[in-house]
Amino acid sequence: MNANVQQRVLKIISEIINREESEIRLDASLRNDLQASSLDQMTLFIALEDEFQRTIPQEEVTDLRTVKDIVDFIHKKLQEPSPT
Amino acid sequence: MNRRVVITGAGVISPIGTGVDEFWRHCLQAKSVVMPVPEQWLKYADLRSRLWSPLRYDPESLGITRTERLQLDPVAMLALGAAREAIQRAGFTLVPAGERSRAFALPEVDSTRVGVYLGTGIGGAHSFLQNHVQHLYQRAHESLKVYSEEYAPAEDSERLNGILALMAHPPRYHPFVVSMLMPNAASAGVGIKFSLTGPNVTYCVACASGTVAVGHGYRAVHEGRVDLAVTGGSEYLYDEHGHIFRGFDVAGTLVRDYVDPESANRPFDEKRSGFLFSQGGAAVLVLEELEHARRRGATIIAEVIGYAETFDAHSMMSLAPGGEQIERMIHAAITDADLSPHDVDYINAHGTGTKNNDQTEAEVIDRVFGKSVLINSTKSLLGHSIGASGAIEALVTALSLRDGTTHICKNLDTPLLGLNFVRSVEQHDLRIGLSQSFAFGGHNAAVVLRRYD
Repeated sequence: MNANVQQRVLKIISEIINREESEIRLDASLRNDLQASSLDQMTLFIALEDEFQRTIPQEEVTDLRTVKDIVDFIHKKLQEPSPT
Repeated sequence: MNRRVVITGAGVISPIGTGVDEFWRHCLQAKSVVMPVPEQWLKYADLRSRLWSPLRYDPESLGITRTERLQLDPVAMLALGAAREAIQRAGFTLVPAGERSRAFALPEVDSTRVGVYLGTGIGGAHSFLQNHVQHLYQRAHESLKVYSEEYAPAEDSERLNGILALMAHPPRYHPFVVSMLMPNAASAGVGIKFSLTGPNVTYCVACASGTVAVGHGYRAVHEGRVDLAVTGGSEYLYDEHGHIFRGFDVAGTLVRDYVDPESANRPFDEKRSGFLFSQGGAAVLVLEELEHARRRGATIIAEVIGYAETFDAHSMMSLAPGGEQIERMIHAAITDADLSPHDVDYINAHGTGTKNNDQTEAEVIDRVFGKSVLINSTKSLLGHSIGASGAIEALVTALSLRDGTTHICKNLDTPLLGLNFVRSVEQHDLRIGLSQSFAFGGHNAAVVLRRYD
């Protein structure tokens, strides 16, 4: 399950920022290492909302810095009940 | 500077086909897609018309990336899909615009000399309405849900659940809503996707948008302001609650009183009752200065040789009786092409299927051209896709001239005024064609095309 979530997150990041998945390290900073703009990041979170069927309010993601932060955040989100 | 302008590429997405080849084959087969409107629309209103022509399109197969799918309204995605086909069919190579870029560059052209001229009637109204519903209902729905589950008497629960179902809304208020709903997003999207830095303009002229865009693109190339014009129209008329459909329905413009859905849509027939609402579509033409096209060995579909537009100054929703300004517009377009009415072999009519429009249009055609000119209505196959229709019809006109044949005017049992409507697919010597559109507001426009020999 964990590996699966990580894989899905990486695939989406790779599509949104247009980089190969193999170039994306877990400790990479979205902004500094992957050069994801604020619009890229906004797009990323709506893509993650669609992929994992969870609402992701902007205020919950402002502190997320690295790819691993996002994977962990999604894991946590998936513990919440799914919306009806 | 008066330069010759030719069509070197085309792309189309429509209810009867995606891609020029499939679309044109299905036109000549008189294919239509006529279906009952989505069931959920009837929960919100009693609709008088219950038919539409739904559009199937797959953004991924049109080359639309995940990011674009998340950031763009369907009206812009349709424009991107049609533009990509048109540019590739014109023979241009698409290369990545840069490392990590989702955009393409066209290395064979000077991008500062390529303009984008696209029409749309309502732009991203789909996104506007979806987000409006979200904005209105999210908190009300949450509160009512809490009340229903925790406080309401048990006997009310069924009724409350019914109300909650009617208040269904998209899960999020979209962070890109402004750039999704703005009407210029389609032309801007095309300019961004293909790195085109010449003029980039959106024509918002209701049902004439596509024709006006093609006309202005033609003029820009003809007058030497650009060498290429990526031009056409795009429209997306679906929303989950049938709001857009209802607007046309309450105005009394849509097909009614039908027994058989397949024959409900019947432009220029005595028994016509209104137009068939289309979910939408797009057509894009690449217009190019003739010598520019020749130098690179482009395949030429047809030549654009004239354009004109007039305005009724009469009513927001009705053609002026008598069609005086339409007649003036036709004469101006033909004069612009340096021709006379008897030179015109074929007219792709506006032909919506509404009582007054078709009557006025038929009378004007009869007065200007007489009874021998060949006429059809592409809306008899596709229904009405508002801002895309003029561009789709300009494409049909170009293909008709190229192939010396055209599609029938479908469901025509008793044609108006005994005019020469196309009743069967046959070969004709088609040299000059005219495609015309009239719009809510009172806008009239026509392009004149010539077969390229």
